[in-house]
Amino acid sequence: MPDIYEELHSAGLLSDESFAKVNAERPASLFSVHWEIKSFLYLGVLLLTGGLGLLIYENIDTIGHQFVLILIALICVGCFAYCFKTKLPFSTGQVRSPNTAFDYILLLGCTSFLIFVGYLQFEYKVFGLNYGLATLIPMLVLFFTAYYFDHLGILNLAIANLALWMGVSVTPKQLLLNSDFNSETIIYTYLLLGILLMAGAYNTQRYNFKKHFKFSYQHYGVHVSFITLLAGYFHYYNSFACSAWVLALFFFAYLVYKDAFKHRSFYFILLVVLYSYIAVSSLVVRVLIQTADLGAMSLLSLYFIGSGIGLIFLLININKQIKAK
Amino acid sequence: MIAYNKTWLANLKLRDMLNKDLSAGRINEAELKAIAEKYPVGFYSPGILARVGFFIVTCVVVFFAYGLIALVAASADIFDSPGFPIFLGMISFAGLELMVYVKHHYRSGVDDALLFLSTCMILAGLFMAFSGFGDHANYPTLFGIAFLMFMVLSLRFTDILMAAACCVCFFAFIFFCWTKVIPSGMSTVPFAMMVAAADTYWLAYVNREKFDYYQNCLIIVQIVCLLTLYAAGNYYIIQTLTDELHGTVNATVPLSAFFWIWTMMVPFVYAGLGIRKKDVILLRTGLLLIAAAVITFRTYFHVLPVDVALTIGGALLLGIAYAVIRYLKTPKYGFTYAEPEGENVMDRLKIESLIVAESLSTHTPAPTNNSVKMGGGDFGGGGSSGDF
Repeated sequence: MPDIYEELHSAGLLSDESFAKVNAERPASLFSVHWEIKSFLYLGVLLLTGGLGLLIYENIDTIGHQFVLILIALICVGCFAYCFKTKLPFSTGQVRSPNTAFDYILLLGCTSFLIFVGYLQFEYKVFGLNYGLATLIPMLVLFFTAYYFDHLGILNLAIANLALWMGVSVTPKQLLLNSDFNSETIIYTYLLLGILLMAGAYNTQRYNFKKHFKFSYQHYGVHVSFITLLAGYFHYYNSFACSAWVLALFFFAYLVYKDAFKHRSFYFILLVVLYSYIAVSSLVVRVLIQTADLGAMSLLSLYFIGSGIGLIFLLININKQIKAK
Repeated sequence: MIAYNKTWLANLKLRDMLNKDLSAGRINEAELKAIAEKYPVGFYSPGILARVGFFIVTCVVVFFAYGLIALVAASADIFDSPGFPIFLGMISFAGLELMVYVKHHYRSGVDDALLFLSTCMILAGLFMAFSGFGDHANYPTLFGIAFLMFMVLSLRFTDILMAAACCVCFFAFIFFCWTKVIPSGMSTVPFAMMVAAADTYWLAYVNREKFDYYQNCLIIVQIVCLLTLYAAGNYYIIQTLTDELHGTVNATVPLSAFFWIWTMMVPFVYAGLGIRKKDVILLRTGLLLIAAAVITFRTYFHVLPVDVALTIGGALLLGIAYAVIRYLKTPKYGFTYAEPEGENVMDRLKIESLIVAESLSTHTPAPTNNSVKMGGGDFGGGGSSGDF
């Protein structure tokens, strides 16, 4: 649309210099296959490690699996050797990866390491019956790799492994489908995990050590903590202790809100608002459901309609405030 | 026809263009600010995150509003009538018009949710009226009306979801008309669908830059057409249809050689054309459909066990990626593998790292205590099982 540039120029909104620049012959824009390459690399790692992982256990009794094991070890060593050789020097800030493939080679190395360790434990019981150790060591290696090479994906893997080591899980699918929050042990384990993750998020910020890792810690920490606090509330629904859980939830919400507002992160504000809304609504439902008649149902519908509209206005307002900051 | 303020839409487009100029250093910040003041955009359209949040909250509000209306109407015996969901849909549609007209919402999540829910309700009503719940179904009318509705809505709201639904309904309409009206319809319908999809694609492709406000809609139309064109000749789909027609199981399909060639070749033709024409849509659809071709092939021929196939496939993908990176070390023929300019929201939310954790982390069910045996076999295998 060159005519619009002319219009802007004659209206005095575009300086002569800029007008010359926008009208200058642009270099033919290159067609970037960046995302295609990245998807190929990612899918390649996923399929290769998935295939190798299956291959070992399918051929467990034949001589072939020794060969596969060596292959996996070689891949692992090769990947890490490459990464140690090409990586940029370590720093406490963000380090860019030296090339596109680097991140995926490191990922391949880590996943093949996980397969290798898992197999050693499965076949030779390297860690004996000490299963805590069998998950602790991969976790430590993952955390080290994530920090040393500055790789967010592996940090996420490490966090998932931290949860696994504690006997729970954090990835959304697992958290929502496979977890049951029926026992006190699990609720308190999750609570501890949530506190650990939030402490991790706080400390990366405070000591300015890999500050860009904060999002991952906070993301998992916020979800796990809110879900656990809600679960705690419902677990102790009939006892007086439930009020402590609700109070803890609102206190936690307040802390996260303040932090998110300070760093202008709308994502975490959205989470705080939605989770708090669930908590408030469950309290309202609890009151209204005492009388199970039609009037209460209508009131409930009215509550959700009204509060929902209120919530939209609240979010619009917060969004405006964040932008204005 | 368009529900939104056209001047603002044009200004929005101008602003996008100038933002690109700014990040490329062709204009400066002060100029952009002055222009933005002279060409205002009055829409309320917050970022993608707020959009998701508003979408969820609006859905809650609308659901409970439906519930309240249903409660009020419970005494009058109208739940079986298709008019009831259509009535609910109309109400939310009125709400949508109000939000767009009065509050100037534009892609804010509120209008998205209202549009989505009202079309869902109207579709449900149409389905109740014309599907006959199995017997005496009148699908041509159903999809004909749905097509017209989505057509009007995509023209009015320039919404890509509506455009996609419009396209799907159009092809469904042609499918059901053809099989009902033409005597040997079922055996010729693949070719009719191919012709229809190819023609529609061509129309959308030729006009892709002609209509200022509908460029995104035409992109999605192109994608749906390409997928339909492929599906019309895909062996698995043809076989399923043939079985349905004759009541057989895994009968051989007439012209099976042709359909096999279609199944295996069309994705590569797409990808090849995409590279030649530098068309992202063709290229990416082609690459996706290669996976579909592999899955179709593996459904009928078990040449390799899953694990070996996965390993070879993974190694192949890595090899191709490596070769392309090596080849494009310096940009060749107008291709590069360098990251395109401009920050996107995926980076800010670190989506990629979350996907890594979801798909590669262990899939051991949460044990109740630490002494439960570790699921050694699941390391790294997660997430890949459904891919091939």
